[in-house]
Amino acid sequence: MVKFYQYIIRRLILMIFVLFGVSLIVFYLGRGFPSAFDPLAQYITPKMPPAVREQIIKEHGFDQPLAVQYFFWIRDVFNGNWGFSNWANGLPVTEVFFSRFPYTVELSIAAVILTFVIGLPLGIISALRNNKLPDHISRIIALTGYSTPAYWFGYLLQLVFFYYFALWGLPSLPSRGAISDALIGTVPAVTGIPVLDGLIAGNLNYAGDAFVHLILPAFSLAFISLGYLARIVRASMLEVLRQDYITMARSKGLKERVVIYRHALKNALIPAATLTGLFFAGLLGGALITEFVFSWPGVGRVSLLAVYQGDSNFLLLYSLTTAAIIVLANLIVDVLYVFLDPRIKY
Amino acid sequence: MKRFFKGRSGELAARWADLRFALYLMRRNPLVLVGSALSIFFIVLALVANLIVDPALADQFKFAQSYGWNNPLFSWGPGTASLGGKEVFYLGTDGYGRDLLKMIILAIPLDIGLAFFITLSAAAFGITIGALAGYAGGVIDEAVLRITDIFFAFPGLLLALVFAAVFGRTITNLAFAVLLVWWPTYVRLMRGQVLAEKEKTYVEALKALGAGHFRTLFRHIIPNSIYPILVQMTLDLGGVILTFSALMFLGFSPSPALPELGNLASDGIAHVFTAPWLIFFPGLTILIIALAFNLLGDGLRDVLDPRLRR
Amino acid sequence: MNDQANENETVLEIRNLKVNFHTYRGEVKALNGVDLKLRTKEVLALVGESGCGKSVTVQTLIGLLPENAFVLEGEMILNGKDLLKNTKEEMRVLRSHTLAIVFQDPMTFLNPVLTIGTQLEEVFTLQKDLLAEATTIEKSKRELKFADFIKRESFETPHKNVKASRREIKKVTKKLCADILSLVKLPDPERILKQYPFELSGGMRQRAMIAMALARRPSIFIADEITTALDVTIQAQILHLLKELRDKIDASTLMITHDLSVAAETADRIAVMYGGNVVEVTFTPDLFKKPLHPYTQMLLNAIPNIAKPTDRLESIPGTVPEMINPPFGCRFHPRCKYAMDVCTKERPKLEEVEKGHEVACYLY
Repeated sequence: MVKFYQYIIRRLILMIFVLFGVSLIVFYLGRGFPSAFDPLAQYITPKMPPAVREQIIKEHGFDQPLAVQYFFWIRDVFNGNWGFSNWANGLPVTEVFFSRFPYTVELSIAAVILTFVIGLPLGIISALRNNKLPDHISRIIALTGYSTPAYWFGYLLQLVFFYYFALWGLPSLPSRGAISDALIGTVPAVTGIPVLDGLIAGNLNYAGDAFVHLILPAFSLAFISLGYLARIVRASMLEVLRQDYITMARSKGLKERVVIYRHALKNALIPAATLTGLFFAGLLGGALITEFVFSWPGVGRVSLLAVYQGDSNFLLLYSLTTAAIIVLANLIVDVLYVFLDPRIKY
Repeated sequence: MKRFFKGRSGELAARWADLRFALYLMRRNPLVLVGSALSIFFIVLALVANLIVDPALADQFKFAQSYGWNNPLFSWGPGTASLGGKEVFYLGTDGYGRDLLKMIILAIPLDIGLAFFITLSAAAFGITIGALAGYAGGVIDEAVLRITDIFFAFPGLLLALVFAAVFGRTITNLAFAVLLVWWPTYVRLMRGQVLAEKEKTYVEALKALGAGHFRTLFRHIIPNSIYPILVQMTLDLGGVILTFSALMFLGFSPSPALPELGNLASDGIAHVFTAPWLIFFPGLTILIIALAFNLLGDGLRDVLDPRLRR
Repeated sequence: MNDQANENETVLEIRNLKVNFHTYRGEVKALNGVDLKLRTKEVLALVGESGCGKSVTVQTLIGLLPENAFVLEGEMILNGKDLLKNTKEEMRVLRSHTLAIVFQDPMTFLNPVLTIGTQLEEVFTLQKDLLAEATTIEKSKRELKFADFIKRESFETPHKNVKASRREIKKVTKKLCADILSLVKLPDPERILKQYPFELSGGMRQRAMIAMALARRPSIFIADEITTALDVTIQAQILHLLKELRDKIDASTLMITHDLSVAAETADRIAVMYGGNVVEVTFTPDLFKKPLHPYTQMLLNAIPNIAKPTDRLESIPGTVPEMINPPFGCRFHPRCKYAMDVCTKERPKLEEVEKGHEVACYLY
């Protein structure tokens, strides 16, 4: 047991190291090169008198070499000061980021659920009817999804389900935003996640509207990755079905369904489950393109604007948060392996 | 030449038998055949594109006929502008009044060429570092692992975006940006393979025979580990195209009129409903190209699976 | 299903079984006309080198041939019915209560993520009549022992009439599981039921597998190289266990092994296989005293004799035939020192030469 905790602590130390590495790279890219945007602008408002400006420059180390600036920056971060995003109405960077984050969470959850719900059966069928028609069909679907440019599918969905549906007189799905303009702000933001907030407030109209807005973007995201999940499930199912203990189960006279569901699936799902976990973590980083295409008010879309505007502090916050999420997710997944597979011990 | 083959006949015969078995398996799988055919088609098209379509057309802007459609076979609905005139634009015209079909054809050499270049560079770089890390072990291995950890922690496009934003929008910068995203995979892959091979008894035998480190690594270990790398490279060809065309779509192309699939599509963002072909056809082309390489890579992966060999 | 089993009755008869496999390199003619008779309550050892077709015979018997295999001709008659004519579903039902097989490597043949208990219980769940009877016994507060069920062919209680709740059935099943584990001499059955395969030693896992086979109350108990993966001391224990169980169960045992010494110790009769055929069948002592087939003779010569130390070990010249283009006629003729012209033309049939001693050779 002690070794187990040692392992976790080692991984956490590693995570801190990774975060330093990420921050170094982004910091260097953001401030180390001449660009159209002055990093100083994040700490200064135009109205400040020159004396105050000077003071701020000294306070945040802008008069020092780049390497030293980094330590000033770290100190600022530990004080919670990430500066301001001047392009976003001068709001603090932290507020810009965290106000958008719940939307990305909502979209990620929806996408993961869809991916799993469609991808898992697809993979299982593929494995069971190996090399026959259902396998080929699911392979095509899987690979097509995996090969689709995110923006192409997103706009295609909009074209059909928003534009053409309306033209043809069919009920159409919304193509932008997380909630209809008219309903914004009509429900107190408890979690920041529209569907949840609507449910908490008992406002089913709001929740329903938020849900409907989720459909197209979540499906757009899911389409691309469900193929990958299906392939992994297929591969691990085939691997498992080759094993001796499956022959043994069949030799006991068990019904094929029981063999598959009780004996094969449990083993085969381990990699699929962990993959889904990692995928979710990746999504939380913000599916930049999908959010862009659907004007989804999430972290990804905002980060694009941040890149255009040279908001290096925002990018630092963004990349550090997502890096932390990804590394943590990897750790959780590895730990879960211990519980899912009784053979692995620490 | 003869000396090269002398003493290797056994090895060659084994590899030839391997190849024939692999081809047999591939023939049995229709999807792989489709993938191979498509891939070959696009590679050939990339090579002859500039001969089929005059590259100068890319610089001829005719704004009077921009965003228009006059293909009689299909209509996009009421919102789209109809073009008159004798010339039929089978895929419509883009924002500069150019024939979209011709622009797509012109874009293919760039996209395919870049895909190969980036994939090969990332692979070469990653393989070398991964092999060294795996073989040397110890501090070098740890250091390499940590560095790849850092790169893996970056969310998808972000690193490439920031890099491109900082260093400017040239094709080389773009290529390098995408390379940054892709190379760690090869490091890990190669390292894993080398670690596994290192434990095998033939390596011990080589040491007993007095083979030096480099010889062991490059003449024996790497060639034996090459199959999963090949599969990964084929699959990555598709992924790389998707990545850099996405970057261009987001506005990181050197010139807005550059014939490149992602760039052509970006022109259509503001005209999603009035000129949908602008996003549809370039995107579809990328899809088919990526699909071709993915089908091929997926089939290769099945075929080269060591357990399937009997 | 007879209650009064006649010792000399044939339970299973395999006649002229021919099985081929489609492979990339050609047709593998794995079984070339196998003839075998298994009698009631006997232990028959099927002996041969790797690749001689022992496992394929067994796979055909239980109906789990791989997809690229097909039966060319032949019959497998169990209790008057030709198994080869059964549907997959019928074979599955047979596997659940008549045919039981224990495999070679208990590590890979047990599901690593399921407990021993789960894997044992599911065998019982398939036998509704057994469970019905057990529940009746349990309800009447009589003691529940699995051993009582082994010998019974049919039960007093038709299972459709027994109403038992899920909980009762579960309780009964658990009791049966614990009881059968102690039958195979596993200590602390309650704890083992909750453990995973990797937590047990090799010998214990093998016993658990035997328990899973016994739980099916089979008429035919197949042991497919069950001691091969174990070290010698454990091997001895398992063989000893089999001998003990033998008196308690009604089944006939088909023991597959490549180790003649294992066969010598446990079998009543031994059948020697070579190249997809049975070449000699007789009672165990007779095989060692008077081997008739040239292959058997050379096999026995190859075993080093501790009483007569020699310098060189004798081996059989030549190699095992490759099954895609096997030798014509008798498949042993290329390696046989008595080979005659007729041996290359047609395969010799298995014929009884002396009392209870059959040989497939033109010498006789």
